[in-house]
Amino acid sequence: MVEVRQQRKPKPSPVRVREAWENLRPTLITGDKQPADVTRDICAPLDRRPTALWWWAFLVAFTALVVGATAVTYQIAVGIGTWGLNRTVGWAFDITNFVFWVGIGHAGTLISAVLFLFRQKWRTSVNRSAEAMTLFAVVCAGLFPVIHMGRPWLAFWMAPYPNTRGPLWVNFKSPLLWDVFAISTYLLISAVFWYVGLIPDLATIRDRSQSVWRRRLAGIFSLGWNGSAKTWHRYETVYLLLAGLATPLVFSVHTIVSMDFATAVIPGWHTTIFPPYFVAGAIFSGLAMVLTLMIIARKVMRLEDYITVRHVEAMCKLMLSMGCIVGLAYGTEFFIAAYSGNSYEQFLFINRALGPFRWAYWTMVSCNVLIPQLLWLRAVRRNIILVFLISIVVNIGMWFERFVIIVTSLHRDFLPSSWASYQPTIIEVATLLGSFGLFFSCFLLFCRFIPVIAMAEVKGVLRAPHHPQEQDALQGDAA
Amino acid sequence: MRQTPSDTQSIDADVPSHLYAPAGQVVSADASSELSRRQFLEAAGFTISLAAIGGCGRAPVQHALPPPKLPVGMIPGQLRYYASTCAGCPASCGLLVGTRDGRPLKMEGLPEHPLSRGGLCAVGQALPIGLYDSQRLVSPLRAGQPAEWVVIDQEIAQSLAQFKGQQKMVRLVSSTVTSPTLQAGIDSFLKQFADGEHVVFDAVSCAAILDAHAATHSVRVLPHYRFERAATVVSFEADFLGTWISPVEFTAAWSTRRNPQPGMPEMSYHVQFESRMSLTGSNADRRYAIHPQEQGPLVGRLTELVAARVGAPLSARLAPAIDIDQERVLANLVERLWQTRGQSLVISDSQDTGVQRCVNYINHLLGNYDHTLELARYSRQRQGNDRDVEQLVEDLTSDRVGALLVTDVDLLHALANCDGMADAIDRIPVTISCAPRVDEFASHAKYVCPDHHALESWYDAEPIASLVSLGQPTLAPLGNTRSVLESLAAWSGQPTDVGAAIRLHWKSVVFPRRLAQATASFAEFWDNALRDGFVEVEPEPVNIREFASTSIRPLIHPAATNAFSLVLYANVGMPDARHAHNPWLQELPDPVTKITWGNCVSISSGDAERLGIQDGDVVSVSAGRDGPRLELPAFIQVGQHEGSLAIALAYGCKGTDRFAKIGPQWFQAEPTVPELGLVGVNAASFLEFRNGTLRYQRSGVTLAKTGTHRELAATQQHNSLELPADVAPFGAERREIVQFTTLAAFAKDVHAGAPEQHHASEPQLWPEDHSKTGHAWGMVIDLNKCTGCSACVIACQSENNVPVVGYDEVRRQREMHWLRIDRYYTTAFQDISVLHQPMMCQHCDNAPCETVCPVLATVHSSEGLNEQIYNRCVGTRYCANNCPFKVRRFNWFEYPRNDSLKNLVLNPEVTVRSRGVMEKCSMCVQRIEAARIVARTQGQPIADGAIQTACQQSCPANAIVFGDMNDPTSGIHAARENPRIFRVLEELNVRPSVSYLRVVRNRGEEALRG
Amino acid sequence: MSDRILLAKFGHEDDLLASTIELRSKGYKIVDAFTPYAVHGLDRALGLKPSRLTWVCFVCGMIGALGMLYFEYWVGAISWPLDVGGKPWNSLPSNVPVAFETAVLLAGFGSVIALLGVSKLYFGKQPQPLFERVTDDRFVLVLDEADARFDPAQVEVILRPFNLLELEERVVAGGVRQ
Repeated sequence: MVEVRQQRKPKPSPVRVREAWENLRPTLITGDKQPADVTRDICAPLDRRPTALWWWAFLVAFTALVVGATAVTYQIAVGIGTWGLNRTVGWAFDITNFVFWVGIGHAGTLISAVLFLFRQKWRTSVNRSAEAMTLFAVVCAGLFPVIHMGRPWLAFWMAPYPNTRGPLWVNFKSPLLWDVFAISTYLLISAVFWYVGLIPDLATIRDRSQSVWRRRLAGIFSLGWNGSAKTWHRYETVYLLLAGLATPLVFSVHTIVSMDFATAVIPGWHTTIFPPYFVAGAIFSGLAMVLTLMIIARKVMRLEDYITVRHVEAMCKLMLSMGCIVGLAYGTEFFIAAYSGNSYEQFLFINRALGPFRWAYWTMVSCNVLIPQLLWLRAVRRNIILVFLISIVVNIGMWFERFVIIVTSLHRDFLPSSWASYQPTIIEVATLLGSFGLFFSCFLLFCRFIPVIAMAEVKGVLRAPHHPQEQDALQGDAA
Repeated sequence: MRQTPSDTQSIDADVPSHLYAPAGQVVSADASSELSRRQFLEAAGFTISLAAIGGCGRAPVQHALPPPKLPVGMIPGQLRYYASTCAGCPASCGLLVGTRDGRPLKMEGLPEHPLSRGGLCAVGQALPIGLYDSQRLVSPLRAGQPAEWVVIDQEIAQSLAQFKGQQKMVRLVSSTVTSPTLQAGIDSFLKQFADGEHVVFDAVSCAAILDAHAATHSVRVLPHYRFERAATVVSFEADFLGTWISPVEFTAAWSTRRNPQPGMPEMSYHVQFESRMSLTGSNADRRYAIHPQEQGPLVGRLTELVAARVGAPLSARLAPAIDIDQERVLANLVERLWQTRGQSLVISDSQDTGVQRCVNYINHLLGNYDHTLELARYSRQRQGNDRDVEQLVEDLTSDRVGALLVTDVDLLHALANCDGMADAIDRIPVTISCAPRVDEFASHAKYVCPDHHALESWYDAEPIASLVSLGQPTLAPLGNTRSVLESLAAWSGQPTDVGAAIRLHWKSVVFPRRLAQATASFAEFWDNALRDGFVEVEPEPVNIREFASTSIRPLIHPAATNAFSLVLYANVGMPDARHAHNPWLQELPDPVTKITWGNCVSISSGDAERLGIQDGDVVSVSAGRDGPRLELPAFIQVGQHEGSLAIALAYGCKGTDRFAKIGPQWFQAEPTVPELGLVGVNAASFLEFRNGTLRYQRSGVTLAKTGTHRELAATQQHNSLELPADVAPFGAERREIVQFTTLAAFAKDVHAGAPEQHHASEPQLWPEDHSKTGHAWGMVIDLNKCTGCSACVIACQSENNVPVVGYDEVRRQREMHWLRIDRYYTTAFQDISVLHQPMMCQHCDNAPCETVCPVLATVHSSEGLNEQIYNRCVGTRYCANNCPFKVRRFNWFEYPRNDSLKNLVLNPEVTVRSRGVMEKCSMCVQRIEAARIVARTQGQPIADGAIQTACQQSCPANAIVFGDMNDPTSGIHAARENPRIFRVLEELNVRPSVSYLRVVRNRGEEALRG
Repeated sequence: MSDRILLAKFGHEDDLLASTIELRSKGYKIVDAFTPYAVHGLDRALGLKPSRLTWVCFVCGMIGALGMLYFEYWVGAISWPLDVGGKPWNSLPSNVPVAFETAVLLAGFGSVIALLGVSKLYFGKQPQPLFERVTDDRFVLVLDEADARFDPAQVEVILRPFNLLELEERVVAGGVRQ
């Protein structure tokens, strides 16, 4: 081959040019991987037996899930009264968890869709797991609006279906109904987006996996993918379209979730800054969750070469910026309350910071605003352990944000006579635990049976971004 | 519709009276009674006709038959009202019994009644649930075992016969008997015996007042107080709006003078001196917290001052000097009293006869007798004679009593202070109790001969010497019970029927007293009385002597101690132990403390701080080393005077442990009754006899923390209009939820008390798509009349099938009352003042709850009602969260409704809500529809006043107006013209259909603090 | 086209791209290329026209949005007008969110279904044709040997500089499905 190249001197080999380009930019994937290595590395864990670590993790997660399921069963059998709610505080853990999980979901979409639109190539290593996370998070989220109902078995009444009760439809003016549409759309689109991205990898598994039944399954779901350039061409288009759709979707979903509160009259809910505030918060919490999972995954699945410190750092920067937006929102709320001259609003925010639930408020502030400021330091960003801890802290903080918004606003509203406090019961705590159980069970199963990294995409970015031949040629001449 | 004599005649003809029979045999005592509704209705259906049958003899029939043809005017399923008399307490208010298919369901006030004027208190409202109580005795007991009447009657007759000759005492103890017929029956029964006496024992007695009048006017009667004539009311501890003698009557009268008009800003001036915060005190223009022991000196000093002012100064000081502030207060007061002499009223609840004599003297000097107090038409609502009771106790303990009959009162519970009573009673040869349940005395009595429930029996009453009223049965007795009158008659050998007896007595005694213009035919007289529920007659002459000034002597003043003084009082919802088994009343929040399910020790904030006591800390209260002692949770009561404690009587009644599991049962639920095993604790052990009266004040009481804690089930957590100091925004420390002002300010500007900026005329965001062209239902509540007595709360509960949820649910802030009464303290005046505000669904035109319901389970009617569709509700609770008034109630559980007998109390017009749905005030939409149907059938528009909501109907103060706001002639239209009108949270622009009238306190200051 | 095709296998996307450009410039007819991942610029190199799926997406989205808007209006103002919180019968602002969500839903599903349809992908389909390691790390260029003057040897000469791994002639019944 070498002499061949010498023969054809005038024709510059693209290879050398590429090397030249390589020096300008650090690689995304370390360990000088070749496509074949990618296929091997990613598919290997699928063929291997699960590690003890995996089993333990799954055991814990599944136990939590069972506990939660028991709690929910009891609650549905006996009544919502088994929760700590009362005539004044009608929502607490239920909707807190709902908003929390929806928020978690959003980072997944952000990474897979928004970063895709921005051509952020580093996303390729994480988008698969991020999307999976979205999916499972939205499933967890979707549970709560259903089980928080007094009569969950009638949840289907939320759907505007032709019925025998005369023209009895649903109330399209209710934000709760918007939620129903938003969340279900979000779930479906995320699922499709995820699956479409999965097709080429399923084909890979189909063509190389040792286990027969996995090959057969992959065969069914890879839809007869054969890597034809024409299909790739359309595929790229649709993938771009989905990304383009998912991006406004993710913003709309959390906007609508925020409207559950923003359209209410309750001080502390009735706020116009909620949509951006909630979206930022959602992405913030989601990124934290992605980090948590990624850092676990890269250790457990031995993917350090694919999920590098560089990825972690990039995520940290995003997270930091979101954290600052959220902090700004907290400040704005107080400013508006003071500036608006609405005494109910003013009371509410003073009460939030100094009232009976101040502990929750200050937990929120320190977890979401103060601690993440550490991420300004490069050293911290590159310290996997620290980043892991911070991501956990942020998750906690964001859960408390929703708790604070819901409970502190409700427990002391307009009429002092109706003020009440709130205290969760065991059932509620178990339900929250259960939702985590469900989430992690799903995620661990995903790690087990589906390539956690989008091979087809990673292969595309093994080396520096590609440039058309003619440009290479020019640079070649220059060199 | 009320039945008329014409009905009566025809029904009389239709239904032979012998068809009327007790359906009692089918009632069983256990909760899951096998009495099916159908059976029951068969049994009860035609007894409506009985309601109309005047005093026909009732021959015993063993089985009940449905009427061969329906009585004229009776339509199945339709509510029919019968005029009657409330037997909840001796006040004997006018009663309208609403019956449907032979079931008495809804108690309402009798509008024409001269005393109660259409009002009815919570206790009266709650009668039906007592009737359908599956734990009432259904047959007489002999030595604790069910027995036949014949057997018991024989035994009793025999054993009583022996006392006819010999000098063994026969004592019949009852609470005040207002029924002339029963009184006659008792007298003739006791006449047979050599030593037979009737001891009248009121659990909460006013004996001192009667004794005082015996001394000053030489007639032992209770004056009839006429608050409607009183321009100045001075009350020493007397809770006349809450529990004292005849609260409904007094509230009705009092509220007529609480209506300042723009033209003439006048209203009565009401001063309250009291140690505990009573309902009356909370409504007073000026309330002075005094130490219980200061009452004597204050009354004494007031007497002196009045006497001096009148110009007949007393020779000697009546009481020790009082401090200078109180001097100043009294000085002003005397001036006012003098200015309004002849139309002022001074009252006291003191059981010290000396104090009451002074009170009489003050009223005498001011010439109030025959104006604000009537002796000629005296009141028979309290006749208790504590001297007799004291004597009785002595006789009992010294075994001089041969036979003891007790009715209407639980002797052992009410006299828990007397030791050895139980043993003494066990030693008595013949003990008979007429209690409907096995109360403490009944458990010791040889025979328990259960009385009918008032709704099952004929009875009459003479609350005021010139007013006789009738009570008529509205269904066949559910159990094999018998009226006391019949029992007495049976035991004296001439069995009779109570209906017959009453008719007879009326013919012979009442009819002759008829007014000049009254009819000459007794039948007509009787029918009128039956239709109207009451009849006015000439009073029996009493010879009132000239006031005996000699009876005014210096007051005995106990030495002041630094120990606590305990005040025992009756709760508004629980006037006496007979109602202890009534879950509605047990769960009725006390108007002042807002505490349900049991009593507590009210303590002043100062003392609590000193002793480090928090709300709910169980404290032990004891009087002396070997004196009485009890343990109860403490409650820090605003306005409680330092050094004084207050505990409600009539709690800790035998059998109330039945309520242990009344609430929903789940693994974290706390039982409704504490470890002790009863609802509340009986504080009667602290009573004591002193100078011939039973004292409800006890000095030398000590208080100690026990270290245990029992959370109080209060329905209100934050009690003040002022926000908590630590989180109150600057300049908005008080919320103008309840607007109020002073008479002085009102006189200057009728809009005084309104917040600076008005938001009413805010433009709408969106076009007015929903103009109410037809009816627009609305409500106006006059907060200046409303006393917070909570009658409406029970009225609503009984009308709308509101469930009882029990201690634990109330504690968790999940009470279900659709209509609650918010009670706020405010420091806007120098002294603490209290505001009551009935709060129910405000039926906003821009209802926040409607917008957020995803399934359209709550929408707006074209007539301005906010409708809740239970069977569409999925229970997201979003509407409740978004309700600024927090009036929506959620069914957290499936509330127990497995007592098939108790379920008969349910109103078939109103859905019983299942678990998981939201509910709230519907403005009695079922009544609106009923009226609409009537109007349609008559082809006329719905007349103003044709619809009365349950709360409005029963309001003793007549503070609630409901009607069509679009009808320019309607009462509500007029009420909305009142300058005092305001709407709660106007600034939210939710446009409530419920408005309130500002509170005006008769005070001098023109500006409020803060 | 004939049944005879020529497969040129490469180990790197750049070689594939370069050779594609080279061959097309020399007028060779390239049937299709098979790659383990989307090779950027390959579509241009193969001269594929931009996909019309974007229009499918747009149309579906519009149907969703307008359809839902009308449905909401019909429900609120025509089918059963109910007074909800004093809001107007047809309150457009509150109808926007649901309409938007529906638009996204239909657009997304529409375009994906269209993709599967156009590319004839369906569950359980057997990949046809499937060249070995093409879903792993091999890049395959498929040439049509339609015209008579086609000379594999010449093709090999052209492709050798581009690290050609292997050149293979194959007979596929009906050729490579497009």
